[in-house]
Amino acid sequence: MDDEQPLFKWSWVESNWNSDSPNSIVNLLQAHIVMSMAPVVLGLLLALPLGLACVRWRYLYQPTAAVMNVIYALPSLPLFMLLIPQTGLTQLTVIIPLTFYALAVLVPAVVDGMGSVPDHVRQSAVAMGFTPLRRLVLVELPIAVPVVLAGLRVVTVSSISLVSVGALIGQGGLGNLFTDAFQRDFYTPAIAGIVLIVLLALVGDGIVLAAQRLLTPWVRARRAS
Amino acid sequence: MITFDSVTKRYPDGFVAVDNLSMEAETGQIAVLVGPSGCGKTTTLRMINRMIDASEGRILLDGADVKEIDPPTLRRGIGYVIQQAGLFPHRKIVDNVATVPYLLGWDRKKARDRAMELLERVGLDPKMAQRYPFQLSGGQQQRVGVARALAADPPVLLMDEPFSAVDPIVRTSLQDELLRLQSELNKTIVFVTHDIDEAIKLGDRVAVLRVGGRLAQFADPKTLLSEPADDFVREFLGKDRGIRRLSFVSSEHLRLRTDLIVPASSPDTAAAPGAWLMAVSEDGRPVGWVGRDEPFGTYVHGKDSMRAALDAALLSPSGQAVAVDPEGRAVGIATRQALDEALGEAADG
Repeated sequence: MDDEQPLFKWSWVESNWNSDSPNSIVNLLQAHIVMSMAPVVLGLLLALPLGLACVRWRYLYQPTAAVMNVIYALPSLPLFMLLIPQTGLTQLTVIIPLTFYALAVLVPAVVDGMGSVPDHVRQSAVAMGFTPLRRLVLVELPIAVPVVLAGLRVVTVSSISLVSVGALIGQGGLGNLFTDAFQRDFYTPAIAGIVLIVLLALVGDGIVLAAQRLLTPWVRARRAS
Repeated sequence: MITFDSVTKRYPDGFVAVDNLSMEAETGQIAVLVGPSGCGKTTTLRMINRMIDASEGRILLDGADVKEIDPPTLRRGIGYVIQQAGLFPHRKIVDNVATVPYLLGWDRKKARDRAMELLERVGLDPKMAQRYPFQLSGGQQQRVGVARALAADPPVLLMDEPFSAVDPIVRTSLQDELLRLQSELNKTIVFVTHDIDEAIKLGDRVAVLRVGGRLAQFADPKTLLSEPADDFVREFLGKDRGIRRLSFVSSEHLRLRTDLIVPASSPDTAAAPGAWLMAVSEDGRPVGWVGRDEPFGTYVHGKDSMRAALDAALLSPSGQAVAVDPEGRAVGIATRQALDEALGEAADG
């Protein structure tokens, strides 16, 4: 590397910001958002029924948690290898493993959230004549929301960070900037990628936090008292 | 009326929580279930609204077998107050109270109006309505619990140790409040407690249950105290059974001396030399013993019990109780001799 070259070249950012190339920063950012948010949404949609089933049939929880943990422990590279024959070098190959990672966090979060409903609250809901479905929707799930959203914050941030691994198969969103940088021994794309990923993570976390404030005004009342 | 007809609750493992229970909770009265832990009192209560189903026997609600009624429908017609109030932490107080009206499909505005009316009724500031349960004290939460149970105006109220998690002073005021509400509402109440004093204070009839879910005695509090059915009941009632029975003896027969009351402005001590004289203000209120800087105790004559009169007498070194009318004006002095006579009559029954 030329000693005179600065660590960060704004001109590169400017010329690569929004071009027709699929590797322009804006396109990579879009791909990054899709690939990191799809697992969060899918994970939440799947974790709810799975978690509720684990609460309803308690014996399901231990085996489910064990399977989730094993999947969580698997490195993503062999998972990609496993999936490529079916899904090819597509975004789906990245989304599927990340969905499993999201589940590994969210299923226990749903189970713990339901466990955070005090027994006397559940009993009084039964005694007042809630049907099981209404009790779940109107009493138990709303009380579980803070615990579930705490899990969702972790998942959102880690998902945004993990997408970059997809660069190994050319689907890393902003992570593609890293491979580009290392191949060319030119650090500007890597730095731009890191900054954008961190910003994206902060925004994602902020959105979940805002949702939490909006959905659970009573939690702040509890803290204040 | 709630009728237990040979009701037994047996669990699959063979454990019998309630054993062949037959009793009736009269309409408009408070029936208290009391007993040590493991006596099946909560199980008995929960069989009424089918949170637990009886294994044998029948439970009739005004003649209708509860087994024939779909549980959610049955429960919406029965108020329920639980030990830790069981309020929904995510709902404001007003919405907590309006829970059953919402379930019954009332219009939102009507349900909230009803909730506000009930909050006032149980002695809560309307400002509390917009708060969350966590922002209220234990005693306030329990009042909300009572308001919530009353929201749809059910004829029957089940109360499961509702006041046992609050401190003694709050408990006393909640008990008094319940008695006041009951005098206005005349609900059929089944009240579970492990505290015999609470049972005697609140119950029109008290069912004492023993471990294993068998009924030891079902009687009004006075009978319970004077004629306990067996050693278990006697022991459960405690040592000061005699003193507590005085709670049910009226003070109206106490002979009062009016000559021991003198105006504070011109106390005449010559009439009864050496006696303790009570000075009263111009409006008739007792102010203190003449010439003696000692405490005195008062009771409301004819309204308070002999226990209160005796308590008032023991508060003063004079051994005399000051009888007052409901407005607080002294009407006479109950001397040791008068108390002695009245206690003698009470002991004779």
